[in-house]
Amino acid sequence: MTDAAFRVHREQDNPPRVVLSGDWSLRQTKGHFARLREQLAPLFADPQLRWDLREVERLDSAAGAMLLQGWQYTLGDRVLLRPEQAEQLATLAALPRRDSLEQPPITLRDMLKGAWCYYFDFIRHLVDFVMLVGALVLEIGYLFRKPRQIPWKEISANIYKGGVMALPVTALVGFMIGIAMSYLMALQLRKFGADIFIINILGMSIIREFGPILMAVLVAGRSGSAMTAQIGVMRVTEEIDALAAMGISRVLRLVLPKVVGLVAVAPLLVFWTSCWALLGAMLAAKLQLGISFDFFIEYLPRAVKPVNLTLAMLKALMFGLLIALVACHFGLRIKPNTESLSSSTTASVVVAITVVILVDAVFAILTRSIGL
Amino acid sequence: MSEAANDTMSTSEQPIVCEIHHLWTEFDKLVVHRNLDLTLRKGEVMALVGGSGSGKTTLLRHIIGLTQPSSGQIKLFGYVLGKLNRDQQRQLRNRFGMLFQHGALFSALNVFDNIAFPLRELHQFDEDTIHLLVMHKLALVELEPEHAQLLPAQLSGGMIKRVALARALVLEPELLFLDEPTAGLDPDRSEAFVELIQNLRRQLGLTVLFITHDVATLSALADRVAVLADQHIVANCPIEALGKVDHPFVRNFFHSVKQHLARLN
Ligand SMILES: Nc1ncnc2c1ncn2[C@@H]1O[C@H](COP(=O)(O)OP(=O)(O)OP(=O)(O)O)[C@@H](O)[C@H]1O
Ligand SMILES: [Mg+2]
Repeated sequence: MTDAAFRVHREQDNPPRVVLSGDWSLRQTKGHFARLREQLAPLFADPQLRWDLREVERLDSAAGAMLLQGWQYTLGDRVLLRPEQAEQLATLAALPRRDSLEQPPITLRDMLKGAWCYYFDFIRHLVDFVMLVGALVLEIGYLFRKPRQIPWKEISANIYKGGVMALPVTALVGFMIGIAMSYLMALQLRKFGADIFIINILGMSIIREFGPILMAVLVAGRSGSAMTAQIGVMRVTEEIDALAAMGISRVLRLVLPKVVGLVAVAPLLVFWTSCWALLGAMLAAKLQLGISFDFFIEYLPRAVKPVNLTLAMLKALMFGLLIALVACHFGLRIKPNTESLSSSTTASVVVAITVVILVDAVFAILTRSIGL
Repeated sequence: MSEAANDTMSTSEQPIVCEIHHLWTEFDKLVVHRNLDLTLRKGEVMALVGGSGSGKTTLLRHIIGLTQPSSGQIKLFGYVLGKLNRDQQRQLRNRFGMLFQHGALFSALNVFDNIAFPLRELHQFDEDTIHLLVMHKLALVELEPEHAQLLPAQLSGGMIKRVALARALVLEPELLFLDEPTAGLDPDRSEAFVELIQNLRRQLGLTVLFITHDVATLSALADRVAVLADQHIVANCPIEALGKVDHPFVRNFFHSVKQHLARLN
């Protein structure tokens, strides 16, 4: 077959004709359909022209659609066609067109409606979250009556994934932050000759603040996102429905082990992270200010009262609980498509970190008189 | 491309569109294909049948270059897909359409955008033309224009199949690979599918390789039947000739085909 081509015939008596020939199909003309249309554009604009398609060897729907659009969707008697081409184009012309489905422009009403939807969405999130917590409490009550149903295996898997696997990264980040903080503080404190107070300042801030927050941010990024994505994929692949069909509670099997696992490991992870941060601080203090390890360790309990460690552990428990709950909440809300999966995972991490910092601030105000 | 050379050949011996030579596939210890050969000629509609798990889908994935066989050679339109550069591969891939067994629709895009996706990637059409073409393909597979705004998760199993078919057809391919096109369709829709393929074949000269378990579709549509059993093609012949093949799977299969045809008469 020959390539798609056209020529303009000008005879004396008849009006001028555009004669198309060759293979007018996507197969043959894949690369230059756009060019053909450009070349034809001035001819489309001329209503006097007649179009002759009888020499076309093959006309597929793509070429048909392009021509039809050029003719403003009307064939009339200015187009000469073979019968089967006429049938083909008539089918195309009968289809609904783009403008007939087009949406009306956005009005103020729509915008208000949009804002209302956002608000409504927020309320729905809150309600769902509370319902999730409620369901979790009910499941825990159920487990008290039927302890054999406790999903030990899942809990242990979550402790491993969320705790053991997080040890290297939390240690590394904690150590680095400890060194960085210590160096900066050392420079400032030396100016005032208050070298020794580095132990007070760093001990207090690391144990009470940085340890829990670092852990929370890292765990939200690591485990929180993983939990949301896991539940989300299970929704996409209908695994959650399969669970429900087997009569297995998704809260019991999916949410509870994650929450329990994370709540169990969070205090340990905070302790671990704080230890590494203090180690980094000790190292930097020794190098920068010449404070020996022995002295640092001996002086630390005097500078930072043990009750601070208790507060840190309390915070850790809360953060672990919040991160797991937020992750599961967003995971369960995922709609079965990839777009929703990615946006919910992002939202899960962002919301988890924001909530943790919010709670941390409130906690700091409430406990401002303790352990100083 | 190869078309120019093809046209000069005699019409009785149509050019080869897809050619598989000495293909082996192994997954760890499991041998799925053992020295498999298959040839598909232009204009043919070939059915690939075989037991569940016999490696039909795997074979199709090899053919369209999604996976590499352990050894052996596959040529499409005379080219080995892996040896072409990126643009040539793209061009070659535009010449065939693939319907996946489970649809493989983009879950974040609605029906309209799913079908329009390959068209938009071509950068040859404006939105008005794309709209018309998508509506045309929707009508071909008997979906309503209202369905265009639905997301894949909101479709029924059979609708997913039909949207996937529409997407496979939208670039007007000369070669179609269909993995169980009628599974999940009701008998009416299966018949409509058969008619659709026959129409397209008449209008545009289509070559089709389709996997099926559906005897009705197969006997209505296929020129040839290739039977995959014992890790290779044990029969590759017109459906009436299957009776002469001495193989347990083919015998059983031919028996059910005969029963179906007898029921029709
Ligand atoms: N990625 C893979 N890794 C290991 N084994 C695989 C892989 N893909 C397929 N298989 C195996 O290859 C065999 C053939 O699978 P295939 O999906 O091709 O079957 P099929 O013939 O399409 O079956 P059905 O008719 O049920 O769709 C199966 O035994 C399957 O377990
Ligand atoms: Mg398969």
